[in-house]
Amino acid sequence: MVAHIVRLKWQLLRNGLLRSTPQLIGLIFAGLYGLGLLGGAMMGLIGLRFAVPSDVARTAIVVGGSALTLGWAVIPVIAFGTDETLDPARFATFAVPRRQLVLGLLLASLVSVPALVTALLGLATVITWSRSVLAVLVAPVAAAVGVLTCVVLSRVTTTGFSAVSRSRRGREALSALMLLVMIGVSVAGPSITKPLSTPGLLPDLADVLGWSPLGLAWAAPADIVDGAFGSGLLRLALATILLVVALLAWDFLLRGALENPRGTSVGRVRDTGLGWFGRMPSTPVGAVAARCLTYWRRDPRYLVSAVLILLLPLGLLLSSLTGSGSGWPLAMAPVTGYLLGWSMHNDVAYDGTAFWTHVATGVSGSADRMGRLVPLAAAGSVLLPVYATLGCAITGRWELWPAVFGVGLGFLLAGFAMSNVLSALKPYPVPEPGANPFSSPPGAGGLTVILQMVAGLGTVVLNTPALAFGIGALMGHSWMAWGALALAVVLGPATLVLGTRWGNMVYERRAPELLAELSRLR
Amino acid sequence: MSPGESSAALSLRGLCKSYGPTLAVDRLDLDVPRGSFFGLVGPNGAGKTTTLSMATGLLRPDAGTAHVLGHDVWSDTVHAKQLVGILPDGLRLFDRLTGLQLICYSGLLRGMGRTVVTDRAHELLGALGLEEAGGKLVVDYSAGMTKKISLACALIHAPRLLVLDEPFEAVDPVSASTIRQILEGYAASGGTVILSSHVMDLVQRVCDRVAIVAAGQIRAVGTLDEVRAGLTLEERFVDLVGGQTDLGEGLAWLRT
Repeated sequence: MVAHIVRLKWQLLRNGLLRSTPQLIGLIFAGLYGLGLLGGAMMGLIGLRFAVPSDVARTAIVVGGSALTLGWAVIPVIAFGTDETLDPARFATFAVPRRQLVLGLLLASLVSVPALVTALLGLATVITWSRSVLAVLVAPVAAAVGVLTCVVLSRVTTTGFSAVSRSRRGREALSALMLLVMIGVSVAGPSITKPLSTPGLLPDLADVLGWSPLGLAWAAPADIVDGAFGSGLLRLALATILLVVALLAWDFLLRGALENPRGTSVGRVRDTGLGWFGRMPSTPVGAVAARCLTYWRRDPRYLVSAVLILLLPLGLLLSSLTGSGSGWPLAMAPVTGYLLGWSMHNDVAYDGTAFWTHVATGVSGSADRMGRLVPLAAAGSVLLPVYATLGCAITGRWELWPAVFGVGLGFLLAGFAMSNVLSALKPYPVPEPGANPFSSPPGAGGLTVILQMVAGLGTVVLNTPALAFGIGALMGHSWMAWGALALAVVLGPATLVLGTRWGNMVYERRAPELLAELSRLR
Repeated sequence: MSPGESSAALSLRGLCKSYGPTLAVDRLDLDVPRGSFFGLVGPNGAGKTTTLSMATGLLRPDAGTAHVLGHDVWSDTVHAKQLVGILPDGLRLFDRLTGLQLICYSGLLRGMGRTVVTDRAHELLGALGLEEAGGKLVVDYSAGMTKKISLACALIHAPRLLVLDEPFEAVDPVSASTIRQILEGYAASGGTVILSSHVMDLVQRVCDRVAIVAAGQIRAVGTLDEVRAGLTLEERFVDLVGGQTDLGEGLAWLRT
């Protein structure tokens, strides 16, 4: 049975990779990049063998190992969504004895690229610690415990999270929570990283981490090398106990997943009226706009983008409050304009196959294109003047207001123009409706990056005139500020009209093909 | 255009569609007369959904034509789409909208006025027994309720042709009979209904004409009695489609 589960995982991994050629190519590139990183890390670890004070090796391995362990616990949940390939709930209907299931799923989760990488790194630490006979004996055990702890912790967190996220409400609560954590990290981030760069702090950090659950296993061989046999063995014992506890916790969570494989949620009446559909003009454009406005509020995937768009410019503001009076706040409006315009370039993909409604009703391409822009156009009409004013007020360079606002407006309209064409031309995978909004669907890496780059470059190129004048104004030619605004006001709408026309043409020609692509993305 | 085509509500000629090496629909011809209640039956993977998608403008055929009441679906798209209401199978809905909003969305996208759309939407919700659920998000609906709300979306613009892919799947008997009444009234007033199903009994009860599809081609078509040829639809279906394994002594371990 255990072998069956492992073979199943292997098969899933292989089939997942062989689904299509572009995916395979993307994977090869990602693989080469990853191999480079891995090779570098392993060379570093082997090099540490010869570092003269072994303290350097201890600090590097304990901090690195703790970070790795933390990553295993957290990243699968926030970055990739819960790993669905071997969702324990799917085994609910098979009478697999739980002991065997636990063992099978554990071994199966070792069959993955990250696990292989971690195991190789663990192996390299054995070389780092090959300074004494006893160390050579302890290091492999410690490395094995460390690697296994990584994998088990990731199982614990993913199984735990998927238990909560089995209902739609639980999932949405989770993404709200993650959003809060993200805001917290981005706000507190700068103040944390600053003291970290002061010398002497990393070894202290390593001392603390070495006794924390994250670093126990990684610090054990360091103690042995330093001759502190007692504390080394104690750490190893504690690390082993931790591994067992994590296994038991996972076993407990699995029981929940197997006994209640699908949660149910009862919907409540939201509103009995038409909502935005009652407020927008009753035309196809108004309908699309009302639908998008509703989605920006109700769909966690849109909420995440909304918060990110709001947050990034505020980060610029923060940097000026902590540092000296730099010019960064001036970039707030342009950055916001860019993000707002650019973020629409894959909007159709967020519809998923629900896009059939647009195809079936025969709504015109321009109505589909323009309606989608309404929510962000509304956001831009508030945010751009506010951020431009804020930026100028903080830096005291009021003469730049027309430039800052103009460049922002130019980016917004140029981004809209790009998006109107691109979103009809080529959708790329996004998290499915109701899925973890932070997850990135597998196998889309290459295409995603290329399309995002095209959208970004296009937006910048289309806005070059206003941008050039804006930079000129920043250099001190204050007359150019008004030039930037004038250029944005004249060229922006023209670009948008052209982009919408082109997007409309593309849409009218290949709406059914777009739908077919969307159903393939699933 | 031949007179035969113009009198048909839906007329398919030489439709072909392949997915990679697999031929899903193979030179399929089909005429659905106006006012008929037409059942499209076939085993899983016979090409029913593919055919209906190509007939309604959701999927571009590799070859062949589709006409709705004389309008070419793939060249006179705007007119053809105004005449058709679709309930597809296996596609998502904009399910973060409430039921009421979703129905109104379908109407407004077609350029209908808000008052007409809202009045009709409330009537449809009432007729389908969804008044209570009208204010809930569609994502929280059960499978049967989702089918019913999709049907309401397909009906909002009073189409002349209704194309329903598996409309009764996951629908409880009470709702099924409500849907049947609505559809029968619609057909009696001159509308045309095409539905696909693999529940032979149901097709036998509601449809006056049927076509049996297998491997992307029509195997038999005509009035119910013509196709049945004295047998039940199910027997005839198994005869035509074949592929039924003679169990004989197989699965002996299953019989206790």
